[in-house]
Amino acid sequence: MLGPSADRRRPLALTPGEDLVGFIASYLGRAVLFLITATSVLAVLLILLFVILRSTPFLREFGVREFLTSRVWRPTADEPVFGALTLIVGSLYVSIAALLFAVPVGILAAVFLSDIVSWKIRNVAKPVVEILAAIPSVAYGFFAVLVLAPWMQRRFGFSTGTNALNASMILAVMALPTIISVAEDAISALGRELREASYSLGATRLETMVKVVIPAAHSGIIAAVVLGMMRAIGETMVVWMASGNATQIPHPWWDLSQSIRTMTATIAGEMGEAPEGMAHRSALFAVGVVLLLMTFVLNIVSEYFLSRAKKATGKS
Amino acid sequence: MKKMLFSAFVFSLVTGIAVQAQTLQIDGSTTVGPIADAFAEYFKRVHPDLDITVKKTGSGDGAAALVDGRCDIATMSRFMKEKEFKDAVANGVFPVAHVVAMDGVCVVVHPSNPVGALTTAQVREIYADKITNWSQVGGPSMPIVVISRDTSSGTYETFDELVMAKQPMGPGVEYVNANPQAHARVKTTPGAIGYVGIGFLDREVKAIKVDQIAPSRQTIASGVYPVARPLFLFTNGYPKLGSMVHRFCSFYLTEKGQELVEAKGFVPLTAY
Amino acid sequence: MNLGIRRTLDRVFTGLTGASIVLLMLVLVAVLGPMIYRGSGAVLFGGTIEFRKMQRDLFNRADRAALEAEIAEADRARQVVYDMIDRFKKGIDIATMSSEAREINREYGRELRYRDVASEEYTEAREVARIIRDKLEEAFSSQDIALIRANVAEVLAQKDEARFKGTVAERFFSLATDFLDAAEHIDLSHYHDYLVALDEVEVILFGSIEHPGLLGPRPNQSARPLAMTSYGATRWDRAQALLDRLLWAEKWVEKEPGQPLVKARSPRAALFHDTALEPLFAYVPEHLNEMLRPRFTVYWQFFIDDNFDSHYFGGVGPEIIGTLLITVVGMLFVVPLGVISAAYLVECASEGPIMRILRMSINTLAGVPSIVFGLFGLAFFVLFLFPKLGFEPKACILAASLTLAVLTLPVMIRASEEAIRTVPRSYKEGSLALGASRFRTFVTVTFPAALPGILTGVILSLSRIAGETAPILFTGAVAMGPVPKSIFDPTRTLSYGSYDMAVGDRLAMMVPHNQYGMVLTLIVLILVLNAVAIVLRSRVFKKLKGH
Repeated sequence: MLGPSADRRRPLALTPGEDLVGFIASYLGRAVLFLITATSVLAVLLILLFVILRSTPFLREFGVREFLTSRVWRPTADEPVFGALTLIVGSLYVSIAALLFAVPVGILAAVFLSDIVSWKIRNVAKPVVEILAAIPSVAYGFFAVLVLAPWMQRRFGFSTGTNALNASMILAVMALPTIISVAEDAISALGRELREASYSLGATRLETMVKVVIPAAHSGIIAAVVLGMMRAIGETMVVWMASGNATQIPHPWWDLSQSIRTMTATIAGEMGEAPEGMAHRSALFAVGVVLLLMTFVLNIVSEYFLSRAKKATGKS
Repeated sequence: MKKMLFSAFVFSLVTGIAVQAQTLQIDGSTTVGPIADAFAEYFKRVHPDLDITVKKTGSGDGAAALVDGRCDIATMSRFMKEKEFKDAVANGVFPVAHVVAMDGVCVVVHPSNPVGALTTAQVREIYADKITNWSQVGGPSMPIVVISRDTSSGTYETFDELVMAKQPMGPGVEYVNANPQAHARVKTTPGAIGYVGIGFLDREVKAIKVDQIAPSRQTIASGVYPVARPLFLFTNGYPKLGSMVHRFCSFYLTEKGQELVEAKGFVPLTAY
Repeated sequence: MNLGIRRTLDRVFTGLTGASIVLLMLVLVAVLGPMIYRGSGAVLFGGTIEFRKMQRDLFNRADRAALEAEIAEADRARQVVYDMIDRFKKGIDIATMSSEAREINREYGRELRYRDVASEEYTEAREVARIIRDKLEEAFSSQDIALIRANVAEVLAQKDEARFKGTVAERFFSLATDFLDAAEHIDLSHYHDYLVALDEVEVILFGSIEHPGLLGPRPNQSARPLAMTSYGATRWDRAQALLDRLLWAEKWVEKEPGQPLVKARSPRAALFHDTALEPLFAYVPEHLNEMLRPRFTVYWQFFIDDNFDSHYFGGVGPEIIGTLLITVVGMLFVVPLGVISAAYLVECASEGPIMRILRMSINTLAGVPSIVFGLFGLAFFVLFLFPKLGFEPKACILAASLTLAVLTLPVMIRASEEAIRTVPRSYKEGSLALGASRFRTFVTVTFPAALPGILTGVILSLSRIAGETAPILFTGAVAMGPVPKSIFDPTRTLSYGSYDMAVGDRLAMMVPHNQYGMVLTLIVLILVLNAVAIVLRSRVFKKLKGH
């Protein structure tokens, strides 16, 4: 079918001379595809650019040092002070606390879905996780303020129910679907051989999981944790409603029952009211830049571990 | 057939079949929003062909929208700032303020709190974290949970100016983003103190006297109660007489308008 | 290690993993439970006759004849309440009684003028009437029962005078009798207390300009400015709460000095002990059913109705339409853009640092708070792009959808990329080996094989688009406005509506069922959209597997 034997060494593709139309179409198609891709990538880059550009007036006027080291956030005073330290600490604080709740539960749930139950039960349990991801953040916010906060005040005698604990619990729930699905992928991608080897050596399921599977899947699990953290750091409305928004760093540091304030909440809460063109508004964008940098770093970390996970599974 | 109907539907969506009706866009403060809502609903009933939209994105965005020409009327719970005026004038927009109603900012506590009156100085010290327990102002021994509106809201600005005298609030102050949230937090927290608009006073929170004056329609309208402020509508220049914007902006002068203001929980400007 | 311990530990571990899933389910129940419980109250509730009246007036929806009959019945039961209050008022409402006396006097004078009477007689009659009026007013304002008796007796002495027979002045005497009757029964030194207490009762029963009451305004009362206060309790649960307030007076009292106050409840009837109003507090609970005629109501129109008074009455119809429109238009942008970009990134672009930076910046978008997207959408689409394209620079559905599309683009690209990448190489190689072009290979082989994964991305971005609030705040959502006629109109949406109700008006606090109802509608809508996508996905999956 391929013609005379003399051409056998030639590549299969036709040369431009033989199929001009196809050649042009292919390149034209490529160009169109590239344009479309460029549009979406451009949109993404535009946003990043937008945030950075809008923050420059503030950074030029006030400088970075006070912004990153001062604990005082007083944007509407006659002599405004923009110290974002409390906000940065607050964001990290609730996100890490949320991970403390979410990671153990998430990994256990991932193990449950991948290794313990039958396909049928898994098909029932998985939608629970997906529904948790589908609930709009407004609903979580309502729950935090109207149900969880009064309950914590009654149950634990906290002076305030909208606090770091409340916010991190809700964030944990919101980060869980991400953590579970990525961790489950990582754990089940390891394949049967590893597990079977472990079982055949007489290890129990616990030992197989803790000593063999989870260490082998650690890159994927770390990536899951980082992705969960990104979700927690970027969440806005819920934290704004649940965290109490006091501009303080908890003292003592482990006291979760105190109100704190995050970067996202500050942006969401103040952006609508901040007058256009004043330092306050561009200071909020500067907070956005810090947020971007943070997610960027987390991104690199997760990318690194995910690619390691891929390499690991690729080898085995 | 189905396909035809569907494409007709899509076409109509994209192009907009109806003849462009008269529109009125109102944008701005969450505090003044309810008044704008009530007025708009009344106007909708009286002028069925009028397309009237109300947005509540904040006073700052209201001002920006007026400057950009994105709205006809900006509702604001504070006066325009110098910078906003300058931007407006630079854009050829000349803001005119119409005061639609008064609002009292009432200091509230949980109803179980025996403290019934505080001085402005005491409230200021509570918000500055200098007084931290109710026993310091004659109440039971209970830590004070201080709740404020977010620092950029008009309500905060009023409180900041009239009670705090521009002194900074303490770091332990909690911020909530709206009157209902402040109300809900005080209602559910025995040691809480907060401040809300007068429309939010009910049985579940207790308004305390400030400087021996209890907040009421009378004390606020007459300026006796220390923490009160006007609420504004801003337009680009004085609206053309007889236009819809003009009718809307002068509606508060009518008896009906005053009644609506009162029904929405604000203090009307004139006694009708 | 001991085998027994190992086995136990293993069981504990298995149990823990199971527990984590159970925990997730519990969380789901805890979050959705209150929403479903309270939100369903927006559709299913005990609707009273006031609800049916409201439906008739505001939505033109009623069986008019039957409703009229029902209203007549209810009014009969209510009349007793009105009478009780009027009778009680006669004893204490001095201002009303004084003005009534003055009114009678004036009317009598007018009547006399129209009649043909001699001038001396006219003067005398008017003089006597004025004296009667003054005597009555003196009696009304007195707290001394002896003086009241004397004054009333003097007034009643005139009762049989011929000049008053058949005239309006006869009302003087009924007024006097009623008043004496009431005055004999109440403690006159507590006038003021009674007035305050009565005012409270009236507000609870009939409402005020700000608060809706149990029965709604009295038939002869002037119309109220807002629809919400023009009707009584439309829902039986609300009626029960108001009844409780009517029957029990609440007060915060000091139990121990220096301690928080405690709530004390006392029967309100005690405030009116031995007066004409006391029976009211037995009558109302006993006959509340007849006065309000509650009936189990399925208000399915909640999903199509417009609202009144900032969601005090009515439903979420326009919000549902708006949410669907924004979602559909947004998906129209995000799905093709996302899939094509992903295809390009996987199939055409070569791996390298540029690719990695691109991917990184796409992923970094996850950290941009959603409100920044809103501001970006406003600055870029509305204020920059629209005027360039010749559109009006105005917030609208198109702008909101575009903004949301940008917001979910990373999710979409990422999911599609993953899906396309996991299509086995052998598929593609097989197709290419058969001589198909790369484009053809992608359309006929790779894309269908990747479709389930792409649909997962669709599900994820769908939920996000329908549920987000902040990005549309500045780009296309309004709190109040008409149903959109085209995608160049702004619209109401469920997500922004729920947020607006939570932060805006005090009214929302009075109708938590509507607030939760809106959130629940949003959740259900997203779940339904998800379910559609999931069913689609499993169908595609089955087809791919070859049945």
